[in-house]
Amino acid sequence: MTWILRSGLAAALMLVAGPVIAHHGWGGQEEAVTSLTGTVVQGVSLAGPHATMKIKVGNDVWDLTLAPPARTASAGLKEGLIPVGATVMVRGNRNLDHARHEMKCIYIKQGSNEYHVYPDRE
Amino acid sequence: MHLAPLFRWLEHSALGVFTRSLGVWSYGIINLAHILGITLLFGSILILDLRLLGAWRHVPLATLSRPTTTMAQIGLVLAVSSGIPMLTVKTTDYIGNPFLLIKFPVIALALVNVWLVHRSKAWRAHLERDLQPAEQRRLAQGAALSLAFWLTAITAGRMIAYW
Repeated sequence: MTWILRSGLAAALMLVAGPVIAHHGWGGQEEAVTSLTGTVVQGVSLAGPHATMKIKVGNDVWDLTLAPPARTASAGLKEGLIPVGATVMVRGNRNLDHARHEMKCIYIKQGSNEYHVYPDRE
Repeated sequence: MHLAPLFRWLEHSALGVFTRSLGVWSYGIINLAHILGITLLFGSILILDLRLLGAWRHVPLATLSRPTTTMAQIGLVLAVSSGIPMLTVKTTDYIGNPFLLIKFPVIALALVNVWLVHRSKAWRAHLERDLQPAEQRRLAQGAALSLAFWLTAITAGRMIAYW
């Protein structure tokens, strides 16, 4: 009885633990680095597990995921620095699913200001 | 999706505005509290449920049930009080997330199960005397449901981030 409980429990915990390893990885993103230039529709937010912003490129609104908040802030990128409507150039890895306009950003440039949120990924 | 207005309301609530204003480490710290709450809750429940299912029979049930129930209650309070502000940070991101729609109903079922077990004759009797086989089976059923519900809730909760 006890060993059944033990092995069942171990199997259940492994099922739960497996996908956790995948989180925060670049697994769902393309290997290739893509550049986008667009206008900011929602400025940098440092709330949540990752900093985020939204930009409009052509007719599409892109969800940009930056580094975690503390790391994004220490790269110099704070909330309110880049105003809505500003033109930005970003580099990053876009979602494997091209129907989703989503990118994990490694670099953001606005005018002469550059923010390397993931310098080790360039 | 009919939940979208509720999600927008949560995100724009005073609690959402407040939680987002707490600084760059706040989400990580609230998340930490949530995980501590879940580990307290599930760790305690696991020990009690395995005992009810037949493990460690040499340990008197009443000896285990008191500390595990108290720690599970503390864990639940910690998990809920950290979970709600986390949910308000970017609630609209969860529109269409199927795991959220599994997690919360299953937590409700788990709590109904707790309520049913605690009001059962068998549960009240275990504090005073050894249980009859039928009473043990009643509590074992509750324990099996408990493990199924809480494991499902935790799995769905974790998967919310990967949708």
